[in-house]
Amino acid sequence: MRTQEGKDLAEAAVSVAQKEGASYAEARVQTTWEREFGLKNGEPQPSFFVEGFGIGIRVISRGALGFCATNDMSLRAVKEVASRAVRLARASAQVLREPVLLDSTKGTRRSWAAQETRRVENADPAWLQGVLRDVEGRIAGERAGVKLPGRLLYAAAELQERYYVNSDGARVTGRVPRVGFFGSLTAIDGGSTAQRHIQQAETGGLEVMERLRISDLVEEEARALGKVLRARSGPPTDVVDVVLSPELSGIAAHESVGHPQEADRVLGREGAQAGESYLKADSLGMKIGSPEANVSDDPTLPRSNGYVPVDDEGVPGKKRRLIKDGMINEFLHNRATAKRFGLKSNGAARSVSFDREPIIRMSNTFVEPGDYTTDEIFKDVKHGVYFKSYTEWNIDDKRLNQRYVGLEAYLIERGELKGLVKSPVLEITTPKLWGSVKARSRHMEFEAATCGKGDPQQGAPVWTGGPETLLAGIRLGSR
Amino acid sequence: MMDLEELDEVAVGAAKRLGVDDAVAISSESADSMIRFANNSVTVVNRVQEAELVVYLARDRRKAIASTSNLGPDAVKKFVGDLFASLKGLPESEYVPLSNTKAKFAPSRLGYDRRLEDVDRELPAMAKSAIDSSLRAGGKRSAGVIDASKGTVAILTSAGTSGRDSKTAITLNIRSFAEGEASGHGLSCSSALKRFDPEGAGRRAGEGAKSMRGAKEPEAGKYEVLLSPTVASNIVETVAGAASAFSVDAGTSCLVEKLGKKVASATFNLTDHGVVEGGLGGRVFDDEGTPTRTNRIIEKGTLTRYLHNLTTAKKRGVGSTGNAGFVSPHPWNLEVGEGDSSYGEMVKEMKRGVVLTSNWYTRFKNYRSGEFSTVPRDGAYMIEGGKVAGPLKGMRVGDDLLRLFSSVRLLSKEREWIQWWEVDTPTLCPWILVDGVTVTRAYG
Repeated sequence: MRTQEGKDLAEAAVSVAQKEGASYAEARVQTTWEREFGLKNGEPQPSFFVEGFGIGIRVISRGALGFCATNDMSLRAVKEVASRAVRLARASAQVLREPVLLDSTKGTRRSWAAQETRRVENADPAWLQGVLRDVEGRIAGERAGVKLPGRLLYAAAELQERYYVNSDGARVTGRVPRVGFFGSLTAIDGGSTAQRHIQQAETGGLEVMERLRISDLVEEEARALGKVLRARSGPPTDVVDVVLSPELSGIAAHESVGHPQEADRVLGREGAQAGESYLKADSLGMKIGSPEANVSDDPTLPRSNGYVPVDDEGVPGKKRRLIKDGMINEFLHNRATAKRFGLKSNGAARSVSFDREPIIRMSNTFVEPGDYTTDEIFKDVKHGVYFKSYTEWNIDDKRLNQRYVGLEAYLIERGELKGLVKSPVLEITTPKLWGSVKARSRHMEFEAATCGKGDPQQGAPVWTGGPETLLAGIRLGSR
Repeated sequence: MMDLEELDEVAVGAAKRLGVDDAVAISSESADSMIRFANNSVTVVNRVQEAELVVYLARDRRKAIASTSNLGPDAVKKFVGDLFASLKGLPESEYVPLSNTKAKFAPSRLGYDRRLEDVDRELPAMAKSAIDSSLRAGGKRSAGVIDASKGTVAILTSAGTSGRDSKTAITLNIRSFAEGEASGHGLSCSSALKRFDPEGAGRRAGEGAKSMRGAKEPEAGKYEVLLSPTVASNIVETVAGAASAFSVDAGTSCLVEKLGKKVASATFNLTDHGVVEGGLGGRVFDDEGTPTRTNRIIEKGTLTRYLHNLTTAKKRGVGSTGNAGFVSPHPWNLEVGEGDSSYGEMVKEMKRGVVLTSNWYTRFKNYRSGEFSTVPRDGAYMIEGGKVAGPLKGMRVGDDLLRLFSSVRLLSKEREWIQWWEVDTPTLCPWILVDGVTVTRAYG
């Protein structure tokens, strides 16, 4: 990062905004560096590079919030943008009924960087294509036992560096290297097709790709698609127990716990886009699940895709216990929502680039591990279905009515996995899902995901995860 | 900062001196002004002013694309030099030379309104108009966003093609809430200020919210479903994406091996326009310097063409359709052909059906098979015997794309431009009545 140039501009922006009458001002200078390479059915796609550098300035004036951004990094342009942010905020006060106030968080001074062994800047095209050639070699030509006429493989490395300053004294420098893989496999057998999308990513340097063991993972997924295509049995229609894999536990935690517990949704700020929440401001302490239902969000997990040790309001991140022993325990907050609740921010404000305002986001959302081994979870199931992976999923915008369609899924009889079950559907309300949690394993896994929210849209890197989670008394399908 | 043409010249000039086979520089500048509100109160005003340079280089069948926002002349030369150096580490790939027609593009007169150039100070009054209109119509509280944008794009290729084009657009997405869960939705999307109607969108959202009080869950089953332009555009966009030759070649499209075959009912026509009167997107040239044009994708229910760039077109022995994307062809402005029914006539035609005015979270089980589901929200109504029987909530709609579009029975004459959170590609769309759509609800 052009460190001193960026710092000077950020300081100047805050100073100008305050002189123009802002009661609060912050500036975030951010650089982005990306390298991506792709293979489509073995054919190299054009390599893709990104280099970005810009500043986002956010102010409060007369209780109204203004955000302006530019990548014209001349001092004159930055000062003009800071001044404009104040003018626009002030002008919008004619439609202001709920002034924006911030909590009393003191300004943090900190410099942080995600752990990195081999610097991410060394991710040249040759290295990226080498990663994908190895994956392609494992699955092309039916080597994984299945025809895959659709193979889209991408490897990417990126670096984001930021300098953040606010008028409450915060000065934060952050460095986030991230390496990841995305693959989309389409398998065909006779007239049937099956599809699997695979996303894995961690913060860190080039060593991430080795940790992820992408080639092994993709080959395993390809072989699973072959099995899925041969599945003939439909799911049971009577009441069953359901075992959710870490992948299913994670997506359920993200969609039906993390999102409805974002305090901006609870207060209605995302109403026209991502929606509101079935929870209200007074829902803290409400029972939503069994005592076994425990879900958290933790931005401090080392190596995680959603690693945010200090958020984009300069607030240190910390673990948030969203559902604790079946009770709604904590919402995700930024400084403004925390003030409305009479609290202090728990560090959930994130922005994906210099030209986006920081908003409340999840980081790494997961079902907490339990006391059982994985074998013990299955052993207790007399008649059930194991959802190992899923394809289609969605949820209503209050986060009450969700659907997960199983891809690789198995019948469980008397504690043992039997044959594959074709496309079981878990279409279930949030209280029913979390109220049915009977047990959790100790074994944890995480998946990378890109969480969408905000307007303009911001795709934030996150992890979703958890243990094997046993749900008791479930009816599959829909009513 | 240099102007856009100078930026392109610096980039292409540097690339040519390095000995590339092909170079394209696409520089752009944009200004987006936005006001967001919730609970009838402004929550934030945004203004983002950006410039960017995208460069494509090819040498010895090795290709790379890069974007930068660091736009000084020396920085651009270094950027191009670094990109050129990186080509050596790349493998050879499918390569088609750029056209050497040396086209000169003049800006389209369609889709640019000078009155939208500096409208950010007017946005609060527009937001207030929408909120007040909703309140008068029965909404209690509203959330929404007005987004006004202007953008200019300039292209220069090493073959000598050059030109620029500009666009403006203004959109309002408003969602109003009445008692309990009752909510309604309104949109107004236009490339010109005179056609922008925040009051009308606010009124529709307020009326929708008021009408949704006392909503009940439907029985699961197959229904006639009347899709509003908002819902239909969301689904139509996925079909247009499936018509991209990149998706077809990658085996991920439900339109694989469907060229020349029936993929929709005979009443259904889908067209893409590079530029079109009223269109909120697009430009006169694509990323490879090919002139954009009007392409019929589905004509009387038959798939007539895929969308191509130079590379995908050569593989099939056809010409580019002017839809590049260096990597993946994409639509610019979609148009679903009009029908001859009114909304009221379509409702009267329905024996036992559902009207949907808005939706979100469309997800596919399998893009190749086209199986998907989506979640209705806001105004949704049961129709019995051609009449509205009451509001509906708590349901999900599922189908596969080819079955759905093959079951289109009627389309309305009235059409509306749609672009919002759930629809990226601007789409001119009518109401669409479809038979036999699956409606489900969750176990609780």
